Amino acid sequence: MSWDTGMPLLVLASSLLPGLVIFFLPEERIVTRTTLNLAGATLKLALVGVMIWGALYGHHYETRLPILPGLDLVLRADPLSILFVALSSILWLVTTIYAIGYLEGSPNRSRFFGFFSLCVTATVGVALAGNLITFLLFYELLTLVTYPLIVHRGTEVARRAGRTYLIYTIAGGTLLLLGTVWLYTLAGSLDFTARGFLSGLGGAHHTALVIIFVLLIGGLGVKAALIPLHGWLPQAMVAPAPVSALLHAVAVVKAGAFGIMRVVYDVYGIQFAATLGVTLPLAIVAAVTIIYGSMRALFQDDLKRRLAFSTVSQVAYIVLGIAIVGPVATIGGLVHLVHQGVMKITLFFCAGNLAETLGIHKVSEMNGVGRRMPWTMAAFTIGTFGMIGAPPLAGFISKWYLGVGALDGGQGWVVFILAGSSLLNAGYFLPILYAAWFKAPPDSWPAERSFGRRETAWALLAPPVVTALLTLAAGLLASAPFSPLQWARFITTLEYAL
Amino acid sequence: MNTTLSAILLLSVPGYPLLLAFPALRSRSPWPCHIALLPAVILLAVPAAFSVDLPWLLFGSGLAVGERSRWLLAMAVVLWGAAATLLRAPANQPESNHLTTFFLLTLAGSLGAILATDLVGFFTFSTLMGYGFYGLLVNGGEMAAQRAGRIYLALLILADLALFEALLIVAAVTDDLSFGAVHQAVAPSASLNLYLSMVLVGFALKAGIWPLHFWLLPAFRSARPAAALLLGGVPIATGLLGAVHWLPLGEISSPGLGLALQWLGVGAMLHAIVAGRIQGQLKMLPAYAAIFATGLFITALGAGLADSAAGSRYGDLAHLFIVSLGFGLAVLTVGIGWLAARSPDAVAPAKRAGDPAPWFERWPGAVVRWGAQMGSDTLPRLRASWLATAGRLWQTRAWQSALDGGERSLQRWAFAITLLLLLGVAVAFIGALS
Repeated sequence: MSWDTGMPLLVLASSLLPGLVIFFLPEERIVTRTTLNLAGATLKLALVGVMIWGALYGHHYETRLPILPGLDLVLRADPLSILFVALSSILWLVTTIYAIGYLEGSPNRSRFFGFFSLCVTATVGVALAGNLITFLLFYELLTLVTYPLIVHRGTEVARRAGRTYLIYTIAGGTLLLLGTVWLYTLAGSLDFTARGFLSGLGGAHHTALVIIFVLLIGGLGVKAALIPLHGWLPQAMVAPAPVSALLHAVAVVKAGAFGIMRVVYDVYGIQFAATLGVTLPLAIVAAVTIIYGSMRALFQDDLKRRLAFSTVSQVAYIVLGIAIVGPVATIGGLVHLVHQGVMKITLFFCAGNLAETLGIHKVSEMNGVGRRMPWTMAAFTIGTFGMIGAPPLAGFISKWYLGVGALDGGQGWVVFILAGSSLLNAGYFLPILYAAWFKAPPDSWPAERSFGRRETAWALLAPPVVTALLTLAAGLLASAPFSPLQWARFITTLEYAL
Repeated sequence: MNTTLSAILLLSVPGYPLLLAFPALRSRSPWPCHIALLPAVILLAVPAAFSVDLPWLLFGSGLAVGERSRWLLAMAVVLWGAAATLLRAPANQPESNHLTTFFLLTLAGSLGAILATDLVGFFTFSTLMGYGFYGLLVNGGEMAAQRAGRIYLALLILADLALFEALLIVAAVTDDLSFGAVHQAVAPSASLNLYLSMVLVGFALKAGIWPLHFWLLPAFRSARPAAALLLGGVPIATGLLGAVHWLPLGEISSPGLGLALQWLGVGAMLHAIVAGRIQGQLKMLPAYAAIFATGLFITALGAGLADSAAGSRYGDLAHLFIVSLGFGLAVLTVGIGWLAARSPDAVAPAKRAGDPAPWFERWPGAVVRWGAQMGSDTLPRLRASWLATAGRLWQTRAWQSALDGGERSLQRWAFAITLLLLLGVAVAFIGALS
């Protein structure tokens, strides 16, 4: 096996093996567990770096293992998968550091970090999947390994949220399986191909292809939290903050959105999907989700629940970018996959810091918290302004490309959706900032922990500060080489054969 | 001047105050607000025009100083220097960390907007200026200041949305977003009228131009001395400067729009005279002077848009006008402040907590309440009682409960759907195998 064929397996193994070892570690082996966690995350990041460098110099990384006659398990590093795998590797490292600090002293850490590593393994598998069957396998694995993380606290609320999550995602997986099987019987292939592989099928199959599209998008839309399939996401916010960060920014919702990208671009092909007439309904579902999610976020007093509804809205931007047929909007959708992840993980880290340090869970408890935790709230401020789309932050770049792409594609109505959504984003985020920075703090916080002269533990403070800086850099340095925007442009040239 | 040095100097004009806005970076600096102006002062002292291209920044941006921007920069340095002094002075209070941060953020935005050479750069800096100025208005203020800040913030968001739409329109017709290129690209575009409307509404909101001047009066009434001094030279001047930069003056002749703006400008001036006379508070004189002056500006802008030849000449005069306006309003504000200190009776006090909200906040609610009490229609074709019911539902968040209920119902069905689908999969497999 050469480096080129082994590299995707190595990237998978860098989180799978530490995860499996961690399961068997006794609770008190803190140093070993921490070392394994950090070594795995750092190694994965290094391997992904090597893979990006190699891909730029013409290396073709692909692993192909037969699983059934005519069906292979394919792991491939194409530009789209590299975008997702790079995002998940970077954010996994910071989330690991955060989780180590967050769970300090709490029970069942070996179980938690074991599933945590498996979760990232499944996400990387989703990213590197070279065909729909491989994608499906890792997609379902993701469902199974995320469930224990959601119910980690073991409370009745957590178990209920876990049940809801499982029901939704199994239903979604079933739809996806049904669509995949049907597609295989029609096309005889499931390999992801730039610009799709279905356009050669005759007109007699078009009705079936539309139904399959609905099944596949229905299955993926559960994890992407498109309405009315989003109900699990606000409930899953009972999970610990690192899990929420993983669900909302790195793994689960991203796997759904990424899957929709794969189906539209590399299974159907964007032009063929537009010919079938399935892109406009998808754009409408995304637009309704954007507005609905923002409306629901507006009056949530629970901070994480507000952020969860915000995710419902923000992930739909990615789908909207896909569904507006045109290269500029595609850039917007692709780049928002990265930008939303970086911004939302910042917000969840900050929410976790507030909960762990001061016992703050509700927006109504946040008066004056900016004075007590200035670094955390500065990071939160950058994240929220990014979400609103204020320049020069990452969200501005996404909204810019989505807006210009909509005009470019002759879909001016999308611009009003973007404007309305920005207005609603301001409506549910700015009152938080006002309370935090301008209102007087209370005499005491709900459950304050002391960290000496520091506002909180280093392991909790560094990750949101780093991701906030990434939010700033992704926007400010958008035109620099190797920025997410440049990579999204590169992918678009391939998908549209420009 | 060496290219690298000039680039560093240009970047440090907005960049240095931005760095100092971080409390940790200015903790050992005794006069951070004054020191932040140092790069701008040095830039003014170098008598040359130079620019820097920043292709890696945003969508490719740049900064430049020329003859016109030099005047604006000089005004900014004087006003910000005076405001920095006032910031330390009032009632010998210890300097607030928050206030200094907002001051420096606003300063960075204001200076950056003066030096920006493209639409996105200007938009970015003016947004930074806007949110920073909100902090200056609100921080530590009483209820009236908070209300003024709330109105300013709401209008700032709307203005930014309008300008963002304008940016999207421009980006659809050209990739080069420098001011000159945009003027040439947008002039023959089919979307010209929409672009002009968005730009005019956006900057009218930002600069508080009549009849979109909702934030101006509450801000002048409640702003503390440092913020009041800056009102003319910062949010108003930046708004007017934006209109000059973004509008394709000299490239188009639009007599209809030009005439409409001229009438609007005359209306603003008349409003300032009449309303200022009725109001009669000396403290509010700078506010009405601002409405009058921006009315004059709009009248001239109308003339510039009506005729491309006049538009070409307008650019030079507009910069001088903005400089004069900034200085003029600052002098007026300081003068009235001085008068108030000498004889408080001559100047009506600023409104205190408990003052009524402005008319646009009070009237809609009052109409609905009155209609609900009377049981009659207060608005054509709309029963006020319905509005009142909708208001109550909004207050009690009944619709939130309804949506929650809907989601719970969906969750109950999810299990049944899953079973059904599993059955479907089994059937599909059996079908495929047979």
